[in-house]
Amino acid sequence: MRRNRPVKHSELDFIIRIAGEGGDGVVSCGELLAQMAARTEFHVFTFITYPAEMRGGYSMIQIRLRDITIYSMGSMVDCLVVFNQQAFDNSIEVLKPGGVLLYDPAVVDIGKHDHEYMLEPIPLTMMAKEATGGSLSKNMVALGALSYLFGADMEMLETLMNERYASKGEEAMAKNHLALDAGYHAAANINLDTNFRLADLKPAGENYMLISGNQAVALGAIAAGCRFTAGYPITPSTSIFETLTRLLPLVGGRAIQMEDEIAAISAIIGASFAGEKVITPTSGPGLQLMTEQLSLASMIEVPIVIVDVQRAGPSTGLPTKTEQSDLKYAVYGAAGESPRITLAPTGVEDSFYQTIRAFNLAERYQVPVLLLLDQSIGYRKATVKMPDFDKLSLVDKSEPRKSVSIPKSSLISIVNRIEPSTTELEDYMRYLDTDDGTSPIARPGTLGGQYLATGLEHDERGIADQSPKNHLKMSKKRFRKLEFITKQFEKNPIEFYGPPDAVIGLIGWGSTEGAIREARYHAEKEGVVTRHLHPHTISPLPSRQISLFLLRLKYLLIVEENLTGQFAHYIKAKFGVKSIGVRKCEGMPITSDEILKVIMKVAGIDDEDNCTSL
Amino acid sequence: MKTTAQVYKKEAVKPIWCPGCGDYAVLSALQKSFTTLSLKPEEIIIVSGIGCSGRFSHYLNTYSLHGTHGRAVPTALGAKAARPDLTVLAIGGDGDGLSIGGGHLSHAARKNPDITYLLLDNNIYGLTKGQASPTTPGDYQSKTSPYGLGEEPMDPIPVFITYGVSFIARAHSFNVKEMTSIITAAIKHRGMSIVYIHSPCVNYQALSWDKLREQTEKLPKGFPVKDKMKALEPAYSKEPLYTGIFYRRTQPVLEDRLDRITETARKNRHGKSIGMSAKEIMEDFR
Repeated sequence: MRRNRPVKHSELDFIIRIAGEGGDGVVSCGELLAQMAARTEFHVFTFITYPAEMRGGYSMIQIRLRDITIYSMGSMVDCLVVFNQQAFDNSIEVLKPGGVLLYDPAVVDIGKHDHEYMLEPIPLTMMAKEATGGSLSKNMVALGALSYLFGADMEMLETLMNERYASKGEEAMAKNHLALDAGYHAAANINLDTNFRLADLKPAGENYMLISGNQAVALGAIAAGCRFTAGYPITPSTSIFETLTRLLPLVGGRAIQMEDEIAAISAIIGASFAGEKVITPTSGPGLQLMTEQLSLASMIEVPIVIVDVQRAGPSTGLPTKTEQSDLKYAVYGAAGESPRITLAPTGVEDSFYQTIRAFNLAERYQVPVLLLLDQSIGYRKATVKMPDFDKLSLVDKSEPRKSVSIPKSSLISIVNRIEPSTTELEDYMRYLDTDDGTSPIARPGTLGGQYLATGLEHDERGIADQSPKNHLKMSKKRFRKLEFITKQFEKNPIEFYGPPDAVIGLIGWGSTEGAIREARYHAEKEGVVTRHLHPHTISPLPSRQISLFLLRLKYLLIVEENLTGQFAHYIKAKFGVKSIGVRKCEGMPITSDEILKVIMKVAGIDDEDNCTSL
Repeated sequence: MKTTAQVYKKEAVKPIWCPGCGDYAVLSALQKSFTTLSLKPEEIIIVSGIGCSGRFSHYLNTYSLHGTHGRAVPTALGAKAARPDLTVLAIGGDGDGLSIGGGHLSHAARKNPDITYLLLDNNIYGLTKGQASPTTPGDYQSKTSPYGLGEEPMDPIPVFITYGVSFIARAHSFNVKEMTSIITAAIKHRGMSIVYIHSPCVNYQALSWDKLREQTEKLPKGFPVKDKMKALEPAYSKEPLYTGIFYRRTQPVLEDRLDRITETARKNRHGKSIGMSAKEIMEDFR
C-alpha cells in the first residue's frame, strides 16, 4: 500500500473576494490580480460565480494565493471588495475579523460593522467618473486601490491590462489606466497597514499556466490528439467549446457548432466512425438529449468523449451554479445496457490529465467516455504546471493492447485505436469477440475493412443477428471491456490519503477533493485522524481498492454536492456499506469547514449505530 | 475483380424488403451510380436512419453506419467534415427525414456539406406496419389514424428549396434509368444534394403506384435549375408530378469553409499560414 504525501502546510495564505453586480467588471478586476500573482511563485486558485443573466444579479470572484499547492477556494477571506449593498450583505460574514473591507461609501451602508475591519472607503463610481468621464472603469479604480494596498508590480499590471483590453481600442485603454491611477492614489491617502504583499514572491519560472478547468479540458483534448469537435453551447460548459473552436484550427483540427445536442453527438459519432478523435462538451440537460446516441456509440463501439460540466438541476435549474447531481445519469442513463466509462477530475490540473485519459480509454476500448466536471471546476482558474511535451510518448500502434495508465506530467502517453492487420483484413471481423472485448477497428479508406456498424444487435462481422444466443454473446463482449478495465485497476497500487488504520474514512468524487483534504488537515490538528479515498474513475469503480479502503473502517463519510446522496447509493449498491452523508445542495461548493464539522461530530460518537442519523 | 455494380453489393446479406418494394430499384440505381462514377467501395460512407430504407447500409459493401431514428444527416455531416476525401451519403425515409429528423435539414442546408441525401418516401411507416407519416394523405386510414388522419401531408420539395439546399431532385423508383442519372448527378454535385425518391410501399398503399405513374412527368428540357422562384411552381405541382432536377447551384461548401477558418486562424497568429503544435498553444495560457 502506498500513501500520498500529507498536505503540506504554510502560513502564507491570502484570500480576496470581489463581489458586485453582473456588468460591474468584478471578474476582470479579480482575474487581473490572479494573473499578476500567477506570474510570481504564488499558487493561484480562483472561484467565480456569475449570474445566469447577461447583466445584473450577483457576481463574485474569490482568489486564493499561497506559496504551496492550493486545494480549495477557502472559507474566510482576508480582503473583501464590494461594489454594492447586495454584495456587502451577501459576503460580509465571510470576512475575517480585522480583514480589509474595500467598499464604495456612496452605495454601501456598512452599518454596525465599522469597528470590526480595516476600512477602505473609496467612492468607486464617483472617482471613475472624475477620472474618465464615465462609471464603466470603476473596477479599475478598485484594482488600483488593491494594487496599492497589496504592493503590486505596476509595470506588470499595466502590461497585463494592455493584453486584456487590446481589442477595446486606445481610448478605452487610456481610460482604464487613468482609473487605475486614481484608485492607486486614493488608497495611498488612506494608507492602511496590510501585512500581505503581492510582489513579495519572486517571479516564477516560465512553466506555469493560469487556466480554468474548462480550458484544461480543451487543452487536454488537443494534447490527446483530438482534432474534431461538434457542440452546442450550454452553460457552464460553453467555454470548453469556445476554447476548442479557437484553438483546433491552429493545430489543423475542425470545430462545428450544431443546431442542438442531438446533432452535436451525431456529428462526432460520424467523425469518429470516419477515423478522428472526437469530443463534445455539454451540461446535464444536453447530456439528456444525447443519450440515445450515447447508446448507439456503445452499441457500434465507436470511441467518443462527452464532457458534462454539471450545473445545479433539475431542468433549467441553476445554470451558473454547481452541483454533483448527474452521477446516476452519467453512469446508468440509457435504454438497454450500454457500457461506458465515467471519469471525474478533481481539479483544474487533473481535468487536463483526465481528459487525455478519457481519450486514451475511449480509443483503446472503443467506448463512450463521460468526463464529469462541475461548474466549480469548470470556471475555477488555477496555476497548472506546463506539461513536458518532450516526454510525450505515442503508444506503439503495433502494441496498443498495453494497459492505459493515468498520464502524469512526467510522461504523457497518447493511445490510438487498434486497427486491423493485413492478415485480419483478409477475413475482417469488425466485432471479433476477444479477451478484452475490444476488436480492431478499420479506418474508412482501408481496402477490405468495409463493415457495417449497426445499432441493431449484430454478430462478430457486424451483420444484424437478433438470435438469443448472439445477443447474450455480444452483450457480454461489450461489457467485457469494463471487466477488463476493472482488472487493470487491480494491478494499480491503492492510493489514498491518511493512515490505513484511521477508523474514520471519507470518500468523495470530483471537485470536493480539495475541501476534503483541507478538512482532514484541520481535523488532524484537533487530534482526529482520518483517511480519504477519491477515485477518478466513477465507472467502472476500482472495486478492489475501495474494498481495501473500507476494511476496518468504523465510520464512512461520503461527501457530495447533491441532496439525495447519489454516490452514497452507488457505493452502497456495490459494496453494501452504510455511510454518513456529508452533502450540500445549495448551488455552491462544499467547504472544508462544513466537512470538518461532520468529522468532529462523528469523532465524538460512541455508538456506531447512531451515526447515520446525523 | 468484379467490374460491375456487384462490387458494391454485400453478398452475405439478402435484403429483407417485401417482394416488389421500390427500395430494390433504388439500391440497384445507387450501385449503378457508383459504377458510373468509378467510386471505390472502401472510400464510400453510407449513413442510414431507421425504417425500411434504413436497411440500405446493410446491403452495401461500403463503410456503413446504421444509426438511430432521424440522425442520418448530422451523422453524415460529421463524417464528411472529418474526412472530406470520402464520398458520404445519408439515406432515410419520410418518417426518418421529415418527422423525427426534420429539424436537422434546414441547418445541414445552411452548412452545405458535400453529402448526398437519398430521401425515400413511401408515405407510411412501413417497417412497423402502417402508421401515419408526415406525407401520408389526409384521408388515409392508417393504424394510428383509424378514422382518417385529420392533417395535411407535407410537401417536401418546396421546403428543401426554401431551406436553401444546393441540389434538389425528385425521382421515381419505377424509373431506374432516370433515377440512376439523377443520383449520379447528385453525388457529383459539390454541396448538399437531396434526391427525393417516391418508393411506394407494396403493403400499405397510402399513395397508389398506378396513380403516381399516371401523374408523373419529367421536368421540361432546359428547365432553369438556378432559379429558386421558378423551381417552386413545379415543386408544388401534383398533377403532373414532376421528376428531375428542380434546383442546382454552386454554394460555399462546409469543408471549404472549415479550411478557410483554419487559414484565417493561422494567419491571424503568424501573418502566414503555418500550423501550431499543442505545446505552442499552451504557451499562450501563461
